[in-house]
Formats: sequence, C-alpha cells, structure tokens
Amino acid sequence: MKNKLLDIPKTYYFFGILFLLAVFVQGDFILDIITMTFIWAALASAWNISGGYAGQFSLGHAGFLGVGAYTSTLLYINFEVSPWFGMILGGIIAALFALLIGVLCFRLKGPFYTLATIAFAELVFISSTQLRDITNGSMGLQIPFETGFINFVFEDANTYAILSFILMFVVFLISSYIKNSKIGYYLIAMREDPDAASSLGINIKFLKLFATSLSAFLTAICGTFLVQYILFIEPANFLMLSISIKIAMIAIVGGMNLPIGPVLGAILLTPLELLLRGYTSEIAGLHLFIFGLILLLVVLVQPKGLAEISWFKNKKVLRWNGVKQNETKRDIA
Amino acid sequence: MITQLILGGILLGGVYALMAIGLTLIFGVMRIVNFAHGEFVMCGMYIAFFLYSTLQIGPYYAILIVTPLMFAIGWLLNEILIKRLIGAEHVTQIFVTVGLSMMLTSGALMIFSGNFLRVQTPMTTKALDIGGGILVGLPQLIAFVISMIVSAFMFVFLKRTMIGKAIRATTQNRMSSTLMGVDIKKVYAFTFAIGTALTGLSAALLMPMYPVFPTIGVNFVLMTFVVVVMGGLGSIPGALLGGLIIGVIETISAYYIDPGWKQAVYFSVFILLLVFRPQGFFGQIGAEEL
Repeated sequence: MKNKLLDIPKTYYFFGILFLLAVFVQGDFILDIITMTFIWAALASAWNISGGYAGQFSLGHAGFLGVGAYTSTLLYINFEVSPWFGMILGGIIAALFALLIGVLCFRLKGPFYTLATIAFAELVFISSTQLRDITNGSMGLQIPFETGFINFVFEDANTYAILSFILMFVVFLISSYIKNSKIGYYLIAMREDPDAASSLGINIKFLKLFATSLSAFLTAICGTFLVQYILFIEPANFLMLSISIKIAMIAIVGGMNLPIGPVLGAILLTPLELLLRGYTSEIAGLHLFIFGLILLLVVLVQPKGLAEISWFKNKKVLRWNGVKQNETKRDIA
Repeated sequence: MITQLILGGILLGGVYALMAIGLTLIFGVMRIVNFAHGEFVMCGMYIAFFLYSTLQIGPYYAILIVTPLMFAIGWLLNEILIKRLIGAEHVTQIFVTVGLSMMLTSGALMIFSGNFLRVQTPMTTKALDIGGGILVGLPQLIAFVISMIVSAFMFVFLKRTMIGKAIRATTQNRMSSTLMGVDIKKVYAFTFAIGTALTGLSAALLMPMYPVFPTIGVNFVLMTFVVVVMGGLGSIPGALLGGLIIGVIETISAYYIDPGWKQAVYFSVFILLLVFRPQGFFGQIGAEEL
C-alpha cells in the first residue's frame, strides 16, 4: 500500500501553497500582488481554452472582460442586483457575443481570426466610450464601498485573495478537465490539422463555438471579480487592446499546452509587472517595454512556453497535466 | 457639402493607401501579418518631428531623410527578426510583431512621454478654394498628390523592373520562383524594407496634419488592415481603392453620425468583409487562408 498522501497529484500541493499564501500573508501591497496574480491566472487559463487548445489566437478577450464587468456593475449600480447574479448574466452575454463572432468568423484562420477579434473588442471599446448615458463614457463608473457578501465588496484584503484563488482554481480545474477529456483531444486535433480532424468525424464548427463561448463566459466572470476588486471601471482599464494582449501573453509565455501553463505565466509576469510599475513609476512604459521583449523572445525561442522547458518539466509539480491522472496518456500535440 | 466630404475623404484615403501598399506587399510576398506596421508609422512621425524641432527641416523635405532611414531600419529588422518568422508557427508569426509593437510604443513613451507633439508650419492651416465653395487643405492635397505619384511609381516598379518581377513571382508561387533562380532571401529583405520605407513616407506626409503620440500606431494599424483586406491581400490597386473608400467612409461617418463612432463604422465594415468577401476586391481566392 502506498502512502495516501502521495496519491494526491503534486499540483494540488502547489495550489495548496498558493491558498495558504492567500490566507496568511499580510500587507496591502503583497496581497494586491497575490490577488492580481490569481485573477490574471484565471483570465489566462480562460483564454487558453480557446487560444491554446483550439489554436484560436484571440486578441479580443478584453471585450469579453469588459462585457462581464460592465454588465454586473451596471446592474448593481442601477438596479441593486447582486454582482454574484450579474456575474452569471455577464458571462452569458459574453458567451452569446462569442457565439456571434464564432459563427461570423468560423472560416478565418491564424492572423485573420486575430484581426477579427481585435475589431470586435474595439467595437465594444468604442461603444463603451460613446454610450455616455449608460456607461458614463471615459469618466468611468465607481462602485460604492458598501461591504457585504451580497454586494461582493469586502473590507479585508485576504477575502479578495481567497476569492480570487477560488476563481483561479475553478478555472484551472475546468481547463484541465477539458484538456484531458474527449473534447480536449478533439480541440488539439482540430488545431493541428482541421481538415484531417473533420474527415475523422469531428464537428469542427461546434467545437470552435464551444471553446470560444466557454472561454468568453469564464473571462466575463473574471471581469466581475476584477471590477469588484478595484471598484472602478473605465474603458481604458478594461477594454484596451493592451489588456487583450496581456491576457494572451500570460498564457503564451506560461505555456499553452498544459493547464498549469497560464497559471505559471501569471505567477511569473503579474508580480513582475506590479513591481516594475511600483518601483519605476518615473519611467512610464518601462514595464511594457520589458513585457514586449519577453513576449518576443519567448515566442521566438520557446514557442511552447516556459512550462515546457525541461527544467520546469523535471519539476514534479508540473509534470502532472490534468485532473485525471493517467501515465499512459501523453500530450499528443 | 457631400462633395466636400467625399473629396476630403479621398485626399485622406490617399495616405492610407500608401501605408496599406506597404502592408499588402509584405503580406503578399512574405505571408506575414505585420502587427507593428502602425508603430513604424509612429516611429516615422517621431523622426519627422525630431528633424523639424532640432534641425528645422520641414516635414516635406524630411521625406528625403525619413524614407531612406526607415528603409534601412526595415532591412535591419528583417535581418534580425522578421526573416525568422517565415514558415514559423502561427503563434510566433503573430506574437513576434505584437511584441515588437509593444516595445516600440513603450519605447516612444519612455523617450518622448505621452504628450501630443505637432509640427506647425505656415502651410498646415492653408486651404485652397477650388471653386463652388469647396475648400481643400493644402497639406491634404500635397499628401494626396505625393501618395498617388509614389503609388503609381510602385506599380510601374513592380511591373517593369527585374526585382519587381521577382517580388511578384514570389507572391504568386514561392517554390517556383526559387526554382527559377530568384534569390528569395533578398526579395524578402527588399520587400520588408520597402514596406517600412513607405510607412516612413506616409508618416512625413501625415505630420503636418496629425499630432504624434506613442499610441497613435494602433489606430493606423487597424485601419490599414481594413484597407488591405478590403482591397485584397497582396494587391496594390486593391490597396489604393480600399484606402480611398475607407477615407470616404471615415469623413462621411464622422460628419453624419459622430466623430467618435467613425472607427466603429469601418470595423463593422471590416468584420462584414472578413465574413462575406475575405479575398477582398482584387485578392486571389484562398489567399487569406495562408
């Protein structure tokens, strides 16, 4: 008989440590870093479902993020609807948008799909700045600081860290479940060779729609978490192209083939960004410059992402790549 | 009024066409979608501004400096970076130029800060009455005329010269042209450098009309893609026609709807185009499939 504790996949220990960080760490700045890291990890994992597994490189996820955040915020401010409910509704609206884009752009490949998603996110951006009566334009909306569970506003910074941990963990579980399910294999088959996959009876259209709408749904939910955490929303901090790029970048730098990749990417990049922004604020743009350089180097040198560098692969934490632990299953990509 | 708007749109569209010709050439020959194209325009505008503010060289004279300089920068970038992308995976092809554009934007932010910088010459506000109460801004007119001359020159260059023919042959079939003895690496380097030089030229032409700021490239790159997809990938007449149409759409929608919505109009046009006619007006069918 093996020790029961060893049967638990190593990744759960990894997440366990992250959870302990969220519970016990004190100090506003470091908790801010932890919370933001978890939210961005969730966002990148959500992107990865369509961007990584299905190979649909979207640079329009800021659009979904904004749709989710604006839906819950507007419902809460105008009609006192709890953000928990608004969050689900925002997710559904974002998923419907994704369905629409998916149906329209079904045939587009590679950079052209990317361009169409950019155009979509720009349309959402322009609408949110122009519909001033509803969204207050570029002035933005403030969420009143009335604490309470129903209001999704908390006094204690640890609560946010724990909630964002749960968000990240749930998105991670969904992502790794998909990766190891039949759908995951179909998605990767479709990414590698759509014609061959189609000829083997895989319904490509359904798969693409499924992947993008699930990804959009989860992204919108992250949007509500993000807006409830910073309690302020304006088009510039939710809908800019740079936000879409950051979401995709975290997943790509971390590694798109493994569910843990985006989490790893967020753990590497988000603290780096916040620290650079905090300590080099007199040099505006330095953190973006470094990010651009990192992105460029990673896709040139290691397009599979850092999680697949052998050093990381040898760490047992990352060798496990799914909920269903199965040694014989090898990543077919 | 409508004549005035259409005329204004056409004049504006001329410069758009010039940027789009660069992008469409690069795409047609190298099959690379250059997301940093708008940032090249931004760089060109900063160089033009720098020349004006330190050496008092007006933007139209600066063309003679900015264009060759951007040609050299393009050649260099191709040698260092872009040539590695040919035949690479989609993720590399897309995100290398995305990373490059991030670096250029933030680099400009670090050097010049976020202020709007403009070049004010006596010419910038001059307008000509061309009869019937229709006014035409002098910088717009100059930009249009130069753009058209350069576009015509590019067209002849591709049709008549040896390197032009090599470029067109590579667009049609990379493999066959290699077999026919075309030095394909040189063609790539030359095409990328020309495409970049054209952004420098359009930047100098835009400088008297627009202020420059670090994030201006995003507006240009998206607009240029709309033009290129509309005209058909790799097609110069297509880019020309697409540029003029987008210019007209822009001025008309800014006047009749709202200036804030004008981009929304051409992004909607863009999505519709991608859906219903992804090959554009003059593109080869299937070119968009890479």
